[in-house]
Amino acid sequence: MILALPWIPFAGALMILGVPAHRETLLRAIALISTGLSFAITIALFMTFQAGKPGYQFYHSIEWLPSFGIQYQVGLDGINMTLCLLHALVSLAGVFMAIKPKDRLKDYLFFYLLLIAPIYGVFTSLNIFFLYVFYEMTLIPLYPMIGMWGSKNKEYGAMKLTIYITAGAVLSLFGIMLLYREMGSATFDFVRVQGILRQTPLAPDFQKVVAGLFLLGFGVIASLWPLHSWSPIGYAAAPTSVSMLHAGVLKKMGPYLMIRFAIALMPEGVKAWSGILAALAGIGVLYAGFAAIRQKDLKFMVGFSSVSHMGYILLGLAAMTQTSIAGAVMLMFSHGIMAACFFALIGFIYEQAHARGVKDFGGFGKSMPFIAICFVMTSLASLGLPGFSNFAAELLIFIGSWKSFPLIVGFGVFAILITAIYLLRAVQSVCYGPANPQWKDLKDAVTLTDKLPFLLLLGALFLFGFWPQGLLRLILPAVAGVLP
Amino acid sequence: MNLSLFLPELTAVGVILIFLVREALRKNGSDVAQGSYSLPALCGTVLVFLALLCTAGTHGAAFGNTFILDPLAFFFKIFFTLSAFVILAMSGEFFRNRPEKSAEFFLILWCTLIGLFFLASANDLLLLFVALEVVTLSFYILTAYLKHDLLSIEASVKYLILGSLASAFTVYGISMLYVATGTTSLSGLNQAFAAGATGPLVLGGILFILSGLGFKVASVPFQLWTPDVYEGAPTPTVAFLAVGSKAAGFAILIRLIFSAFLPLEPHRVMLFSVLAAMTLCYGNLGALLQTNVKRLFGYSSIGHAGYLLIGLAAGKAEGITATLYYLIAFALSNLAAFFVISIVGESSGGHQLDHFKGLARRSPFLAGVFFISLLSLAGVPPLAGFFGKFLILLAAVRGSLGWLALLGLIFVAVSLYFYLSIVRAMYIDAPARTEKIPVALSVKLLLTALVAGIIVAGLWQAPFLHWAQVAASSL
Repeated sequence: MILALPWIPFAGALMILGVPAHRETLLRAIALISTGLSFAITIALFMTFQAGKPGYQFYHSIEWLPSFGIQYQVGLDGINMTLCLLHALVSLAGVFMAIKPKDRLKDYLFFYLLLIAPIYGVFTSLNIFFLYVFYEMTLIPLYPMIGMWGSKNKEYGAMKLTIYITAGAVLSLFGIMLLYREMGSATFDFVRVQGILRQTPLAPDFQKVVAGLFLLGFGVIASLWPLHSWSPIGYAAAPTSVSMLHAGVLKKMGPYLMIRFAIALMPEGVKAWSGILAALAGIGVLYAGFAAIRQKDLKFMVGFSSVSHMGYILLGLAAMTQTSIAGAVMLMFSHGIMAACFFALIGFIYEQAHARGVKDFGGFGKSMPFIAICFVMTSLASLGLPGFSNFAAELLIFIGSWKSFPLIVGFGVFAILITAIYLLRAVQSVCYGPANPQWKDLKDAVTLTDKLPFLLLLGALFLFGFWPQGLLRLILPAVAGVLP
Repeated sequence: MNLSLFLPELTAVGVILIFLVREALRKNGSDVAQGSYSLPALCGTVLVFLALLCTAGTHGAAFGNTFILDPLAFFFKIFFTLSAFVILAMSGEFFRNRPEKSAEFFLILWCTLIGLFFLASANDLLLLFVALEVVTLSFYILTAYLKHDLLSIEASVKYLILGSLASAFTVYGISMLYVATGTTSLSGLNQAFAAGATGPLVLGGILFILSGLGFKVASVPFQLWTPDVYEGAPTPTVAFLAVGSKAAGFAILIRLIFSAFLPLEPHRVMLFSVLAAMTLCYGNLGALLQTNVKRLFGYSSIGHAGYLLIGLAAGKAEGITATLYYLIAFALSNLAAFFVISIVGESSGGHQLDHFKGLARRSPFLAGVFFISLLSLAGVPPLAGFFGKFLILLAAVRGSLGWLALLGLIFVAVSLYFYLSIVRAMYIDAPARTEKIPVALSVKLLLTALVAGIIVAGLWQAPFLHWAQVAASSL
């Protein structure tokens, strides 16, 4: 089952290619079914996953290029199981936004499936070569999708995003090649590499160089300050379902690969950088928070907010304790769902109103109650209110990082106040206040297909908010296995 | 002497003779439909391909050891034949609605192919020089073929002047080596060098020959002709220059460096890594500001020469294998790209970026093919170009050329910028014209095959890698 995960959307994309563009119902059905099938498989894997069992579950290995030590390997531990679940939820919610009527629907759905397929690949692969291949494959559909269906400065945003992420990717590829050479055992098998490096760690100087390359390279996609500037512009330009996937899931590949490559393989090297990483993360939290206050465009505001929250995740990684990393993984999940929900809401409004200024709207609480409720709840989740899984995650990060970086944790807690300022202000001006007569024709989400993505995402936030153990029982043992 | 080694060349000569006779017998003034030459020419390549398959696995020398057939030669002959097949099809499309007669164009393309065959098999500097001249002279004519087009003539003059200079360098180098060692045969040179022949004449001769070849592969500092010739020459010629001529240069370079030029070995890594670094910088930075797609491809082809040179710097078995794999990937992607450029250029009347605007609406198929080949050229997985770059850069890292690999990787991000600028014109910009571009079914099939090749060589690398390894092991 797990082998099929990335290939089902690929097959869907190929089928879409063969369907004539005017048969839109069929196109939508293919997109829905292939995304839904992957979702169902992920849920089944999640249900049958045995928490607390060490090592990788559902492990398969297929020989690919023996002379280079390349196998097609898949397997799940608690960390990538959680992220697969995140991707399954967000991609399913996203496909409901993607199938809405638009220009060149066929091309859009083709690229959409081409985007979600390699993400499954990244989160299931256990071979360094294929991890990298899938990681960079996500770039193929992004440029045309943002360029063709985006808004506001889309060409600049698309180009900036693609070039930044590629530059980061090639730096980490350089790290991978250096590691391959230094190991001398000619293998890209992640499980074996991890085993060998546990026994005989590499020289600290070498670890420092390569860990630096990984942190820098994957830091770009994790929007580590000051490499974050592609992110708000890119998200503002991208169409709704792409913003959802990118802010929700793609960005999480950065910290995920940092855990896999940097923390698991060269902990000494990461330790050498952890002070700098934590400082940059702290600056990012504050800087992006203040920047979010100043934004006039809702999408820019959420974009900066996501940079700010990624700072917490990176802080959790820098502290390198079991609690902080578990909190970071938990926040990757919670923030991913929350960010996707935000972009879905803004997209829902924008598609009707073609406006998304923070001050453009008003009184949605009366005219669009469902959307307004979702907006309020997502904002509260983003604030880290107890009851949403974001709360548990941020708490774990603060507790786990307190010993190493008390000052930065202090700033991080302060930044929650900043988050409150811009989010509550947005809630106030969008949902409350006098209704702006300009928008009296806007329709609320009434049909089930309109409501489903929001229900799905907010439901997951609630579920794991009241039952954080549901995720933590998977994450904690896996993190213990990653740390030396 | 074993004539069966010579079967593919004989077949090719036979095809040329048939063409000549056919042209001679044709009554003066009787018009032949344009494009009617491409089908017989394509059948010819199939014949040559079959003849090549008959020689598969054989290993031997002929004509007093001046001509050898080994897996490396076999690799390149297959490579040239398949490329020629695509180029011939491209030429057929190119001349379909043009006023120029195309008969001679096909004939000269065939002469080029013969020259390339002899280059791949040359085991003597004299044969090598003659074959090189056959190829180069044919390219002078192919470049100038659009005789009413000033750009085409300008390109040809530039190519002629610089090309003659390069030939002069080569022949001068050969004579110096002959003076120093008394032989022109590669095996003889190898023995002489192994016995300790050295001195300024030897190193000077080697450097002169390498300079001549540097012109062929468009390596810095012999790259100046490339953008101008790419811009002005007829598109099928450019495609053949980019794929055939460059590959031929590397075929000879590989054979000379690793089996004959022993005195170069202590300096090889230094020389080629510096050349590679300069070539990478020149090609990739130069391409950033281009607005003419063919000119942009000229610069990008210099950049790719830089990657290929990294392979030569990186080391023997691994480096050669990587270089050969890169050539396969480069040829597949470049042929597909030039096919699209040729069709769009003919139907839009130019090769500026503006002419590609809105291609996604005018012909989604052509735009899709172009998109994939551009991504492959940039080195995005899972396409062939990615694995080629991966092999070359991995070989460099393992050969302790980390800085060079890092440079190559950084230029991947840079090159993405100019390749994506074409994608932007095709997919995002408003179309300058709206009429659809018709694509014949045969062209569609051929382009689909090329795209399939790009994807297969990127995902299922094992057979291609094996083929390249076998070819590399013959030295």
